[in-house]
Amino acid sequence: MSQQYRLQGRGRVDHGKPLSFIFNGKTYQGLAGDTIASALLANGVDVVGRSFKYSRPRGIMAAGAEEPNCILQVGSTEATMIPNIRGTQAELYDGLTASSTNGWPNVDKDIMGVVGKLGGSMMPPGFYYKTFMYPESMWPTYEKMIRKAAGLGRVPKDKDPDTYDKLNHHCDVLVVGGGAAGLAAALAAGRRGARVILVDEQNEFGGHLLHSTQPINGQAPGLWVANAVKELQGLPDVTLLPRSTAAGYYDQNFVTVLERRTDHLGERVSGKTRQRLHRIRARRVVLATGAHERPLVYGNNDLPGNLVAGALSTYVNRYGVAPGNSLVLMTCNDYGYQAALDWLDAGRKLVAVVDSRHRPEGARYRALKARGARIYTGHGVIEATGKKRVTGARVAALSSDGSQVTGAAEQLACDTIASSGGWSPVVHLTAHTGARPVWNDDIIGFVPGESVQKQLLAGGIQGTYALSAVLAEGLTAGRAAADATGYGDISAQVQDAGIKTEDPQEDAAQALFLVPHSKLVSRAPKQFVDYQNDVTAAGIELAVREGFESIEHIKRYTAMGFGTDQGKLGNINGMAIAARAMGKTIPETGTTVFRPNYTPVTFGALAGRDAHHLFDPARFTAMHAWHVNNGAEFEDVGQWKRPWYFPQTGEDMHQAVNRECLAVRNSVGILDASTLGKIDIQGADAREFLSRIYTNAWAKLSPGNCRYGLMCKEDGMVFDDGVTACINDNHFIMTTTTGGAAGVLQWLELWHQTEWPELEVYFSSVTDHWSTMTVTGPNSRKVLEKICENVDLSGEAFPFMGWRDATVAGVKARIFRISFTGELSFEINVQANYGLHTWEAVMEAGAEFNITPYGTETMHVLRAEKGFIIVGQDTDGSVTPFDLGMDWCVGKTKPFPFIGQRSWSRSDTARTDRKQLVGLKCKEANTVIPEGAQIVLDPNHPVPVPMVGHVSSSYYSASLGHNIAMGVVKGGLNRMGETVYCPLADGRVLEAEITSPIFYDPKGERQHV
Amino acid sequence: MSNNTAKLTETQTDVRVESPLYHANLAALAKKDQQGEVVLREKAQLGHLVLRGNVNNELFAKTVEKVLGVALPTTPCSSVEHNQLLVQWLAPDEWLIITEGGREGPLEARLREHLTGHYSLVDVSGGQTVLALSGPKAELVIRKSCHYDVHMSNLPTGKCVGTTFAKSAVLLRRTGADSFELVIRRSFADYLWMWLQDASREYGLVIEK
Repeated sequence: MSQQYRLQGRGRVDHGKPLSFIFNGKTYQGLAGDTIASALLANGVDVVGRSFKYSRPRGIMAAGAEEPNCILQVGSTEATMIPNIRGTQAELYDGLTASSTNGWPNVDKDIMGVVGKLGGSMMPPGFYYKTFMYPESMWPTYEKMIRKAAGLGRVPKDKDPDTYDKLNHHCDVLVVGGGAAGLAAALAAGRRGARVILVDEQNEFGGHLLHSTQPINGQAPGLWVANAVKELQGLPDVTLLPRSTAAGYYDQNFVTVLERRTDHLGERVSGKTRQRLHRIRARRVVLATGAHERPLVYGNNDLPGNLVAGALSTYVNRYGVAPGNSLVLMTCNDYGYQAALDWLDAGRKLVAVVDSRHRPEGARYRALKARGARIYTGHGVIEATGKKRVTGARVAALSSDGSQVTGAAEQLACDTIASSGGWSPVVHLTAHTGARPVWNDDIIGFVPGESVQKQLLAGGIQGTYALSAVLAEGLTAGRAAADATGYGDISAQVQDAGIKTEDPQEDAAQALFLVPHSKLVSRAPKQFVDYQNDVTAAGIELAVREGFESIEHIKRYTAMGFGTDQGKLGNINGMAIAARAMGKTIPETGTTVFRPNYTPVTFGALAGRDAHHLFDPARFTAMHAWHVNNGAEFEDVGQWKRPWYFPQTGEDMHQAVNRECLAVRNSVGILDASTLGKIDIQGADAREFLSRIYTNAWAKLSPGNCRYGLMCKEDGMVFDDGVTACINDNHFIMTTTTGGAAGVLQWLELWHQTEWPELEVYFSSVTDHWSTMTVTGPNSRKVLEKICENVDLSGEAFPFMGWRDATVAGVKARIFRISFTGELSFEINVQANYGLHTWEAVMEAGAEFNITPYGTETMHVLRAEKGFIIVGQDTDGSVTPFDLGMDWCVGKTKPFPFIGQRSWSRSDTARTDRKQLVGLKCKEANTVIPEGAQIVLDPNHPVPVPMVGHVSSSYYSASLGHNIAMGVVKGGLNRMGETVYCPLADGRVLEAEITSPIFYDPKGERQHV
Repeated sequence: MSNNTAKLTETQTDVRVESPLYHANLAALAKKDQQGEVVLREKAQLGHLVLRGNVNNELFAKTVEKVLGVALPTTPCSSVEHNQLLVQWLAPDEWLIITEGGREGPLEARLREHLTGHYSLVDVSGGQTVLALSGPKAELVIRKSCHYDVHMSNLPTGKCVGTTFAKSAVLLRRTGADSFELVIRRSFADYLWMWLQDASREYGLVIEK
């Protein structure tokens, strides 16, 4: 297809490189260097979407991030597509597939368009709130319909195959914006040796210079840009990031930047990172983000063919596209004339320039007049006419302040209307840091408010638009940023080459936002302010009439600024219209707040590499490969992967666990206990420290022995437990729960460093250093005897709760005779590099006893048979040692108060009817009460039934042949033998007897043999 | 699976030694034809000792210096190398001593023999390993993983910092213009191995033995 609006030989596009692309199912041709938007305009595609509420046809308005209408779903497959791409910023590649994000069933024939036309006057702000709220039950149905009919983009359905990542940066100077000011700033800072990062959202640096015709140093501005970029590339510590949008600006000069690395190359570029989120920490930030041109607000200003004036210059000069044949241009300032000059240079017909000012005199005005253009001064375009494209403009005389129409309207035939209402500095990033923009009457725009960040401003962002001043401000800001970051000494030696450019003389602009119509605002054709949300001038006035007085409320009621464009084009106009309606000034009305992100950031980039198997670390023990090879199912315990159970062929979990339990009780089992936290404690005061941290006594624990201990927080509630061994008087090894390891080490350091620094004690984590395997069961000694040297394993020489040095399978080891199963147990600890070797040796030695590997589930059953608690399962941070019936584990005569002790005298912790840990036995032997079940005393009590506790651990015990459970019950320790009830969600009520929690070997004889 | 064996001094039994990354079989990967700008090598089975003590206690400082042959580094985040010993500063009262595998036992014994007063000495050789990362893109891979400023001006050769790395923690040291070492924890080794493969994929990863 021909590109009928292409200007042959013009622009920065490559006329020798045609590309084809598909838009809404139709194939078009574009050129290398095009954006989707410039290629669509070259092909004369007027309608690119339908509006949100009224479903009006919409065309391309702008040429950058501020574009509200050309919002596309880009990508041909569900896996690769991205929604809500601004066509004005997406580079074209061969084969690109894009579609409009709204317009159902399609943009040209739109069902909602009829509704919009009919309903136009019946769909005021708040229409959805007012219409679809009742009946409430219908909302989900309404919502589906509304979303389909309106909406912006949609979530792709397939898994994204691309790679996204993040890169951290630190720099002296971050320059945001690679236009004239930003390039100058980067040059000044980079020449002084500072670490500089320059980011720009476009594919090329240069900003407005890419379409400007104003010479710099007597040459085309593009040449100056090319030289500047070349010099920056040659500087040692300068990083240039094109296609990179500074999306968010956070405290301490932390800026997130989204770089699109392959989106311009094709839909899928394998082996590359598609998008990268740069996390930049800068000592100084130079904001050179420029300004967006504001359109004027007039009737039917949303018809395709209405553009922002500067966008015309961009399309003509940069992309070689004149998006129309005959132009009416309206302006209230001198710069607006530039588009008309560029339009004439492109050989297109200029119907008229309409200036709201009565006596303009600037250089561009004179230049245009000299070329014989028809210029209406003191006039305005009050309305565009046409159906799917502009066919004319209605022009009328205005009062000198631009507030009233003073004459009859004249109809001018044209297919394009461009308007310039002046510039709005791009203050978004400073607003992210909490700086409220401040109105400046001189530039008729909001400039950045005072910021607490170490930031500098240059160029358009502070309302400086004359190129010579923009360049000078850039150099000054770059120099100042380099000075401030320690490059001041050499600053004097580096001279920035003078940049010479002659600015056209400019006349004062007029503050004009809404062009008046001969009819009242409420009766005039729709005058759009926010295109994405279909907010009109009339809508804003209505919101004010309905009582909304704060601009924040007006925003929420009308939805102004809520789209993906965040009101970049419309917000200032909307505020000005609201201010007038309220009879206030713009500064009194103020502005809403811009929040991150400046333009949308994909979830892929935010997730980066922290996805799939890298989402969270999985921690493994040295024996993990063995567990995998032997068919273990795994359970997540914190970040650890622990064997859960080892099913044999045909076994379900229940059968496997029963088999593993019986093996331990009847012969021997082995458990990988390496994940338990282990802390090495050394120092003369180690013992004293333990006495203060643990609830029980440590004074008499002699070398070669171990002791179980409970730890409480200051509130007297249990928070960890474990066995600690005395290596010698200056040296102890503490074990903690698997999940509590890091927290306990921090806890020890906290108390040592802040409360008891005088105690001579040091802590080191040795969790990863030791591999730990528990060999347990009546035959465990026989297994160990086969592979242990240098140790006497007999009960007399090595009693329960002792530890001994030994050699196991040739490896230096420490063996602890501690038991979490109630059976004769040996816990072998070896340096982890020998863990798997030792484990395999034990397995080999145990083969004749059918040694059975078991996992956490069997461990839980075995310990529950013995009434041993698991912190975090049987406790929940509200349980004291006394509530657990563990008075034996509290040292009552310790000389120094220990953590938690005082809290036990609080009336609440001292009362006798607290929830206390008891055993529970369901009266149906084979029924396992669900963990978490509530316990009540009277199942027939009228609702609400008082709940006296809950079940915390519950299993089937193969050894005992019936169910066992533990739970907390109010005053439970005095209720032994009583019957309680567990009403379940399925309607059953289980009857259970309160028992001792020790179900198996109550005298504890088996572990002592 | 690698089958490194070692003869422990006190026994005649053959004992298999497996570093935290043994399951990745880096030795076999190193034999393959590889191309890339990031080079990874596990410096496996070294001796790691954590020493804690008060360096302002002259007796402690002098005794350690006598045994190690070099004074403990006291500048935060600094390291010294001497006679096959690498001593890295971890905290004002904490150092990591790395030596060749097997030497840590005798070294620990000699330190214990000479040291008096308050100190702590812990063998952590089984709990961690060292990864050497080098090549023109090594720094980029580290910057993908770590928030610390690793620019040469902030992390010069020999400087070591304890920092987060992906969702784990490492001790990171620059060993040259294009080379770094990471001390990583055993249980996180597989996660970091997968992470490093993923993060260096676009540059090509070369495994060295």
